[in-house]
This record gives sequence, structure tokens and C-alpha cells, in this order.
Amino acid sequence: MIHESGEPALDNAIRIADLTKDFGAIRALDSLNLSVESGEIFGLIGPNGAGKTTALRIISALLLPTSGNVEVFGLDVVKKPAEVRKIISYLPEEAGAYRNLSGWEYLHFMAKFKTDSKDEIQRVVNDAAEISGLGERLRDRAKTYSKGMKRRLLVARALMTKPKLAILDEPGSGLDVLHAYHVREIIKKYVKDCGVTVLLSSHNMLEVEHLCGRVALLNKGKTVAEGEPQELKEKFASANLEEVFAKVVGLA
Amino acid sequence: MLKGFGNILVKELKELIRDPKILLGMIIVPLIMFPVLGAVMNFSMQSAQEQVQKATVLVVNNDGGNYSQIFIAALNSSVKVFMSNYTSPEDTVNQNELSKCNTTQLIEIPPGFSTNMTLHVNVDPNITASVKIYSVFSGTGVFESVGSSMIDRLIDGFNRRLASNIVCEEKSSIIKGQIKEGVDPAQLSALMISQAIAMPITIMILLTYSMQIAATSVAMEKEEKTLETLLTLPVDRFSILMGKLSGSIVVAGVAAIAYMIGFNYYMGSFTSAIPAGTNLDLVSLGLVPSLFGYLLLGISLFVALLSALAMAVILSAFAEDVRSAQSLVSYVYPFLFIPSFILMYVDINALPLAVKVALYAIPYSHPIIASRAVTMGDYWTAVWGIVYVSIFTLVIMYIASRLFATEKVLTAKLKFRGLRKRGKTAAQDLE
Repeated sequence: MIHESGEPALDNAIRIADLTKDFGAIRALDSLNLSVESGEIFGLIGPNGAGKTTALRIISALLLPTSGNVEVFGLDVVKKPAEVRKIISYLPEEAGAYRNLSGWEYLHFMAKFKTDSKDEIQRVVNDAAEISGLGERLRDRAKTYSKGMKRRLLVARALMTKPKLAILDEPGSGLDVLHAYHVREIIKKYVKDCGVTVLLSSHNMLEVEHLCGRVALLNKGKTVAEGEPQELKEKFASANLEEVFAKVVGLA
Repeated sequence: MLKGFGNILVKELKELIRDPKILLGMIIVPLIMFPVLGAVMNFSMQSAQEQVQKATVLVVNNDGGNYSQIFIAALNSSVKVFMSNYTSPEDTVNQNELSKCNTTQLIEIPPGFSTNMTLHVNVDPNITASVKIYSVFSGTGVFESVGSSMIDRLIDGFNRRLASNIVCEEKSSIIKGQIKEGVDPAQLSALMISQAIAMPITIMILLTYSMQIAATSVAMEKEEKTLETLLTLPVDRFSILMGKLSGSIVVAGVAAIAYMIGFNYYMGSFTSAIPAGTNLDLVSLGLVPSLFGYLLLGISLFVALLSALAMAVILSAFAEDVRSAQSLVSYVYPFLFIPSFILMYVDINALPLAVKVALYAIPYSHPIIASRAVTMGDYWTAVWGIVYVSIFTLVIMYIASRLFATEKVLTAKLKFRGLRKRGKTAAQDLE
């Protein structure tokens, strides 16, 4: 289903209440509370193991919460996972494409899950081709792509259908300055032009500062601070978000 | 010189020994395989000997003379002799006299036997008396020709006591209830042995290859996180599973067809390889599956492949990468190898009940059982095998679909306790 920009948006794109997730004896998320407004770029930041990926996977209806509530545009991810999947797109961390398919074939394959109309598929794929900036290389098999090219292809895939909510796990991880810049520009453009809401995670706090309207700092499965980057920096009298984080978790 | 060699060697050994695939494939499998093989060989030789000890023969006596009675008496001193109620070997076979007496050997003493014996003794030692020997051939294993060689020994013994070469044999085989004149069962057995060994080996290779393909394809999706992406798309999870399986099925189907064509060629190739002077032709003897037989064999192979593929898909869903998927799948290999080796040497019906049940329970042994059954025209064995393997496959596929419907497909992970140090837990891996 393609999101139509004329549709009235609910205030909350994501509402998370008391979300807890246990893996055996390990508590990955501990009574997490969070809300993301429609049309914003929201950043989940925190160190490795903070619970970012687990939170994103639960919002994407991949994992089930141990307790608590998660709603995406008013849809409960446990009760209506199929409905949720229609309005979101999810980009896993360090994901790859199918090695023996070309970039074009990959985009076509993915577009066909969202619509049956041939014209629509073509339009969506052309969009993705443009925003990926891969040009002629789209004809080559994905196994010949560099890490940066692969990431650009996948970010384009995640945004091309103009989902109501795009969930991007570490969209810029492992990319050099140029590729990271390109990816950030794609995301900004889609939010501005198409009304897509973006929830992304990162452990690169500088990247988040450039991109996100609001952020939540996660540590050990809990939100330790939440707000606009500027607001947080002022509140904790810090030069950047890294310093904010260090102060919040008591390192500094 | 060789600086650092010792350090690298120690690291190499640690890595290799902790790899479950190597441990299983190169150390545990041979340790189990050879004792099993030894037990199988021992058992099949024992049962062949037992067969000789309680051996019986059926005799058709068309000679009224004294020497035929002496001959029968000589046989009777070593084996149990039954006399046929019919005068022609054909009638004896057609009226199931052999199975009534529970024997596989029929001896016909033709008219003139006593006359020739007398002539040999009194007139010309070049004149010999002959008996006709008909042995049932059922294509059941390497030691099948033991029965007919027993008759050879009895006649040798008889000749030694009277005069050498006084009685000679004319050998024939009984195949699927039909007498095939002049077909030596020993030669036939030798010919069928190569088939008995080739079938299981090629089926084994086909199954292991396709399991590797399927496991790699699922593990690749997990490793590249394309599976995770698929699971967040508005698509039925059963479709994802069926799509993956069907891809492998198409490959397996093509493989099964290629296999049948190759097998047909293989069977046909024996006609020309027979030494001149012996008229052994498997096709004209009916020892090549019929078209229907080939069809059943193809289906049997296909469902066995399907069950192997579904098994590979489930197992690789528990693996985090291609390498561990392949080692997980290799745990199934003993269930492929052991039936193949057993069935190379022994007819399944000759095995003790427990072993027999175990072999029938393993779905991968059914194409091998079916290949022998359809060659001998026993279609029901193949059909029941197909039914069983299909049910088995459906159960496996049901489990696979349950697995794909939950978060387990992402979080499930089998641990090899003791084989390698417990690494990160699934939870840590997920953050």
C-alpha cells in the first residue's frame, strides 16, 4: 500500500508504553516508554547492547514484547502485525541484498510486494534508482557492490514505496563521509517531500545530531534522556550529544 | 627456520577440532560407520550360511532309472529333498511348488539320466549325464548366489564318489516366476551387484548435495539479513517458506529427472558389457524397471528429496550463518549413509525386525528400497514408501511453517555444548 500524502495523519506515529523484552535471563528492554510524532526523524541512540535493535525489531513486528504496548499509527504490533507491515518498511543493520540479483532486479522484487500495478512498480523502481544514485551500476549483480553502494541501494529500497513509517537500523554504519552524507540527504528529502516518518538508530551521535529532530538516549534497555539535540545539549551543558550521553550515564 | 610453525599448527588444530563438521565427518562417522558395516556384512554372511544349513531343494524326476534314485539319495544326505508333483519344471514353477517347499532351488533330472550314467561307466567316459538346475533370482543382495553354489558343491561331491564329470549341470534362472533358460544365476548376481552399489551411492550424493544447496540458501538469507527484511514485508510467512522450498524443489526435480535418465542409460549399458558367449541381457530378462516402475522410482526419489530439503530448511533456520548451517545439516548425513551401506549388501527383508523398522523409518532409505522393488516388479513397496515419506515430509513442513510464523526463525539457535566453547548467547547477539 502506498501512503497517500492527503491522508490525515494521527499525532503519534509510534507509541511505546512500558515495553519490556527478555531473552532468557537477559533483559534487553526494561519498561521503555517512547513516542514518535508523525513526520519527524527520530533517533534512538546508545552504545552497543543498549536495546536499540530489539526495540526496532519489536516495532517492526519481528519480535514479540515480553510485556508492554507498542502501537504504530494506532495499530497494535502484537494484535495486527499484518496491518503494521503494510505501512512500514524496515532496514536491518548491516543487511545485504541478494548476491546474484542485480540492483534493478532487487528493487523490482521488493516493489512487487507493495503493489501489483506494473506502472506503479516501474515508477517506484525509477524513484529508487534515482535516489540510490547508483546509475548504470544497478545492472550489475549486488555481490560486486561496495559496502557503501549496497547501503545506498537498501536505503533507497526502504524509502521508495513512501511508507508511513521507515525504521532504519544504523543507516549510516560503516560508511565513509561521502556515502554517509548521501544517505542522510536521501532520508531528509523523503521526510520533507513525501511525509514519511523515520525512526532510526545509531551509535554515531554526531550523525544523529545532523539528521534527527528529536532523539532518545538508550542505555541498558531504558530511556535515559529524550528531546531535541539542541535542548539536550543546553540542559546538560555539553558541546555535543556524546558529552550529553557520557554525563547521563555517569561517565563524566 | 620455520619460525612460528608450532604456533600456527596449534591454532589450526584448535580450529579444526572445534568445527563440528570435521569432528563428525572425519572422526565420529568412520567410528560408527565401520562397526555398522562390519555387523551388516557379518549378519548377511551368517544368514546366507544358515540358508545353506537348512537348505532344501525341489526335484522333478523324469528319469525312471536307478541312478536317479541314487542321485536323489545322495542329495538327501546333505539337504532336505522334496519331490515335485509335476513333471515339467514350468508347471512346478507356475504352481508355486517352490514357495510351498520354501526353497529357491529346483533340480530336474531329465529322461535318459540313468542311461547316460550307465553308458559313462560301461562304454564311453565322454558321455555324461546332465541335470538341469533352476535357481530363483530375486535381486536381493550380494550373497544371493549362495543357494546355487550349494548345489554345485553337492554335485561335485556326488561326482567325486562315482566318477569325475559324470554328472554335469545346465543352469537356468527363475526371474519373476519365469524360467529363463541358460541364464546363470551367479553371473546375473555379479551383474546386479554393480547396480546394488551404484544406486545407493548416487542417491546418497544427490540427497547430500541438495541438502547443502537448501541449507546454504536459507542461511545466506539469514546471514545477509534479507530474511529479516522479507519478514517485515506485507507477505504471508508461509509464502516465504513455500517460495524457498519450491525453489529447491525445482532444482531437486530437475536433479531427479537427470538422475533417472542417467540411471536408465546405466542399466542399458550392461547389455553391451556382457562377455561374449553369455546371453545376459537385463532388458530382455525383465530386470530393468518398466515405465511405471521408473515413474514410481522418480516419485519416490522426489518425495525423499523434498523431505531432505525441508529438513535442511528447518535446520538452517537454527543457524546464524552459512558455515554453521552446513555443519548442522551434516548431522543428518549418518541417516543417509548408514541405510545406503546396509542396503548395498543385504535385502531389507532379511534383516532383524528392529533394524528393518529403523530402516523403514528413515525416509531417505525409501528410494533405495524402491529402486530394488520396482526392478523386481514389486510396486506396492514403492507406493507405501512414497506414502510414508510424503506424510513425514508434511509433518516436517508443518514444523517449518510453525517456525517461520514466530520470532523463533530469527532468535532460534542450537548450541553445540562441549563441541566448542559457548559463545555469545542469542540474546547478546540481538543486543
